[in-house]
Parts: sequence; structure tokens; C-alpha cells
Amino acid sequence: MELGSVATPIGALAVGTSLVAAAILLHYLVRRPQLTAGTRLQLLLGLAVFPFIAAVATTASGMERTTERSFCGSCHVMEAHLADVNDVNSLGLAARHSRNKLMGAHPCYTCHANYGMMGYPLTKLKGMSHVYNYYVVGYRKWELPKFLDEVRIAEPFPNMNCQQCHSGKIASFSNVREHLAASDAIEAGTISCASAGCHGVAHPFSKRPEEL
Amino acid sequence: MKRLLNLLAKWPIDRMLRVACVLGLLALATMVWGVVSGAPLPVVASMSVAQGLGVLACLLFGLSIAADVARGKRQAP
Repeated sequence: MELGSVATPIGALAVGTSLVAAAILLHYLVRRPQLTAGTRLQLLLGLAVFPFIAAVATTASGMERTTERSFCGSCHVMEAHLADVNDVNSLGLAARHSRNKLMGAHPCYTCHANYGMMGYPLTKLKGMSHVYNYYVVGYRKWELPKFLDEVRIAEPFPNMNCQQCHSGKIASFSNVREHLAASDAIEAGTISCASAGCHGVAHPFSKRPEEL
Repeated sequence: MKRLLNLLAKWPIDRMLRVACVLGLLALATMVWGVVSGAPLPVVASMSVAQGLGVLACLLFGLSIAADVARGKRQAP
């Protein structure tokens, strides 16, 4: 059984402060003491100070959790993607990158988080649309084959995300004839690095034959 | 200002403090659920619903203490 982020220091801090605050609040509810200065101080700790620490720690722990591959793969519609990136024999672009230690447990986030100063919060906000689609639009009830057949990435995958690691500035990149010929299109994003004819789609099992 | 003082004069301090404690407990439970479970819905709830409930509980606590202080001042000779 996976125990979320409890084993991490920040997760343990969130749970620890929550338990202390809960003990204070339960004590007040059960004992109902007079509202003296001491009781006010206890309630200040139980309703403001410890919950604030817990909220900060929960947010930090939650944000970290949302970058893990097991989190992305925990909705059933992502099971095939998770299985592919975990498959050491897969030759898909995403799978090959996921074996890179630099990406560790966060390969989905590393590639799909947009580059730039606002990349992190914007990626998180956009991630809320996945939650909305899953629980409200109804992907939760879809069979996997239907999902793979009908759902595609919301926006074209930006080449800038590849260039977070592959800068494209060194000779081994810029001397490749295809890169030279298509340099303007690569820069403009009209040709995707992760497309058929270039480096191939990232998750080939999820595409129809005509998309490969 | 007068309206706020009137509101504080009628504020049911004990009941609101109990409500704040219950809301606080719900918020804390949701946060712990998110951290322990690690599943998408609890994690999202722990970073949104829980914090909304926590802020509400904190506001009720603040108003209750303000009401208690205001009443103490009124009753002082």
C-alpha cells in the first residue's frame, strides 16, 4: 500500500502539526473550558498557528506529489502511459526519456511542464482541467480503448520543453542536416520534435496508425 | 463600525467557537487524507477545500475573540 507523502519530511510535518491541532480542538470540544486567556491561546494554536503550518506543508507536499509519475498514472486512463514509461523494453520517446535518471520519478512533469518563470504554476492550473475532465466530463467512466482513441493532448507539445535539456546550440545538434533544414520551423514550433518523421511521437501506443 | 460592534454584541461566541473547531477538524482531516492517500482527488481537496475550511474556521475564531473582547470592554465600569 502506498502511503502518499507521509514518509517525506514535509509530509510528516503536515500530518504531525495536523494531529497536534486536532488534539487541541478535540480537547476544547469535549471539555468546553471557560474562555480564559489560556483557552484563547490554545485555540489560537489549534485554529491558526498549527493549521497554517499544516496548510503550507500540505501544499508543498501536494505540489511535489503531483509531479510524480505514479500520481499521473493513478487515473485508469493513464495506465497505458504509465505501463509504457515503466517498460524497460519500450522504444517510445517518452519511455526512453523516462529511463534517464535525471527525470527520476518525475518524467511526466519534466516533459509536460512548460518552460519559463510561470511554467510551474501554469502547469498546475492547467492540470486542474484534467481533474475536471476526469470527474465532471466523465473520463472516469470511459474504457481505456475509447480514451486512447478519442483523447489527444490539449495543445501541441512545445519544442521549448525539449530544449530545456536539448539546447540545440551545440554542434552535434546544429550540424544534423534535418535540424539545419528545419531550424526556422523548429524555432517557430511549426514542426514538432516529437512528431512522425522527426523523433517520433512520445507515446506511440496511444496513436492510430495514420498518426505515426 | 457601529454595525460591526452590534454584530459582535450579538455574536454567539460559544456556539461559533464550537463551529470553528468542527470546521478546523474537517480541514485538518482533509489535509491529512491528501497527504496520506496521495490519490488525485484527496490531494486536490487538501490544497483547496481544506484550506478554504481552515480559513473559515480561523475567521470565526477571530470574530469570536473580537466579540469576547468587545463584550468585556462594554461590561467594564
